[in-house]
Amino acid sequence: MSAVLEVSNLRKSFGGITAVNDVSFEVREGEILGIIGPNGSGKSTLFNCVLGQLLPNAGEVRVDGKPTTRMRPCDLNRLGVSRTFQLLQVFPQLSVRDNLILAGQEHRGSMLSRLFGKSDAGLGDAAERMISFFQLSHLAEEPAGALSYGQQKLLDAAMAFMAGPRLVLLDEPAGGVNLTMLAHLRERLRAYHAEHNATFVVIEHQMEFVMALCTRVLVLAEGRIIAVGAPQDIRRDPVVIEAYLGH
Amino acid sequence: MNRLGVIALGAAAIVAIVAPFFLRRYGIYLISMWAVLTIAAIGLNLTLGYAGQVSLAQGAFVGIGAYTVALLTQAGWAYPAAFVCAGALCFAIGWGLGYPALRVQHHYLAFVTLAFTTLVFLVLRNEEWLTNGIYGITGTERPVFFGWSTGGARDFYFFCLGMLALLSAATWWMLRSPWGRAFLALRENPIRALSLGLDTRRYTLMAFAIGSSLGGMAGALYAPLVQFIEPNSFGLGMSFNLLLMVIIGGSGYFFGPFVGALVAVLLPEWTRFTEGYYLLVYAALVMIMMAFCPSGLLGLIGRMSKAMTRRAPTPPELHAEGTTP
Repeated sequence: MSAVLEVSNLRKSFGGITAVNDVSFEVREGEILGIIGPNGSGKSTLFNCVLGQLLPNAGEVRVDGKPTTRMRPCDLNRLGVSRTFQLLQVFPQLSVRDNLILAGQEHRGSMLSRLFGKSDAGLGDAAERMISFFQLSHLAEEPAGALSYGQQKLLDAAMAFMAGPRLVLLDEPAGGVNLTMLAHLRERLRAYHAEHNATFVVIEHQMEFVMALCTRVLVLAEGRIIAVGAPQDIRRDPVVIEAYLGH
Repeated sequence: MNRLGVIALGAAAIVAIVAPFFLRRYGIYLISMWAVLTIAAIGLNLTLGYAGQVSLAQGAFVGIGAYTVALLTQAGWAYPAAFVCAGALCFAIGWGLGYPALRVQHHYLAFVTLAFTTLVFLVLRNEEWLTNGIYGITGTERPVFFGWSTGGARDFYFFCLGMLALLSAATWWMLRSPWGRAFLALRENPIRALSLGLDTRRYTLMAFAIGSSLGGMAGALYAPLVQFIEPNSFGLGMSFNLLLMVIIGGSGYFFGPFVGALVAVLLPEWTRFTEGYYLLVYAALVMIMMAFCPSGLLGLIGRMSKAMTRRAPTPPELHAEGTTP
């Protein structure tokens, strides 16, 4: 299968600290790659470099073979790379429906054509489908800020899917979510993945969540990849256990 | 908008149309000024209330628009052409002023725009060959449309009111399009907006340009209304006053500027009975209002109507159209 995302020799340092050190990996079409690692191992920095939020010091990022290293996040998103955030990032005063329409509207036509187009940019139905897919129908008109934390996490994920992305990067989707909601979120992510043959990269601390969701796991420690493999192998890998349990 | 809102809007429109028949010359001048300043405040509300970019330069754009129209009509241009030119010029300058907003935010941006206002004031005062300096420009002619002369006070008021209706309808229409949603996203969470494919750079510049353009068009009405323009009218005072209108009315509420401009134009007049103290009383009222309803008068009304319609507790900062950033 072809690689959707290729990262080669990526390096990013802040002052004297090298947060991401010569990291190379690829993400194949249709897989769910989990990225785990202890705190400070460079997961978020890696994400931000891949997504154009930070400029790496060296290395290259390619999406479907196209170099994207110096691309702005908005252009990268329109290329089909979408993300969720570790800390909640919805638009609290917009309704759930408007949050979703916003997440898709910039993919429709040009800026000028949107000015003269319909208010919902032709995304009303798509938003409705996404709302019912994530079982948020009873909340469609509520301002997103009035939703519970777990519901906002669902909305956050739904927003990432609105434009029918090629690749979705999920930054700690399970963080701070209770167990019931977590099971629901995992089940919905899996259902979406099965339905659209989507490609996911997931950063996560919650081991159970990663092991149950991901098809392949990559372990970072001190900015380097120390192991890659199937979830059940990673769980038994002595190097990984060493990195997590300490020196 | 709910039914009560439509009724209120209709009633307000009727009052605005019949009012000049019950007012004397100075009263008509005041409500004309209200219409003109409302247009400028709508522009600032777009930049500040919707897109979340603080600007203390709106008064300068009113000045640029006023001088553009005054100079061009003096040079023999037809008023409509001069009007369009004022709007277009302010659009272009506003676009340029948007660039600092891509780098700095909040009070830093306020300082950048404040410096711009001072710069415009100095140009208007010092470039005498163009602007006639502190002596100002008198007698900007009021236009004639198909035989309808707007020379009289009442006629000119209706011209201003018509322009207000036209420009606010255009703004309403724009805010209903996906652009309105994009502007709000810019205000609420620019980082998330960027990750959703929203070109925040272009929308920021656009918010500044359109807001400034409305300021320029207000200026294009201001010059023929007051008949005498001079640099001091467009100093920091006017920019602060316009900011006050947006905040008092309710920043981020579509009708906020209408209410805010009404308060800012009429309240000083109503407090005149206190004679020498009227500006003092006005200032005190503004301070009290800001302390008790920071989301402006429309924010207060929204909160009250919410409390009456449903008793369920809702977080106070959540309402339909927005709050102060």
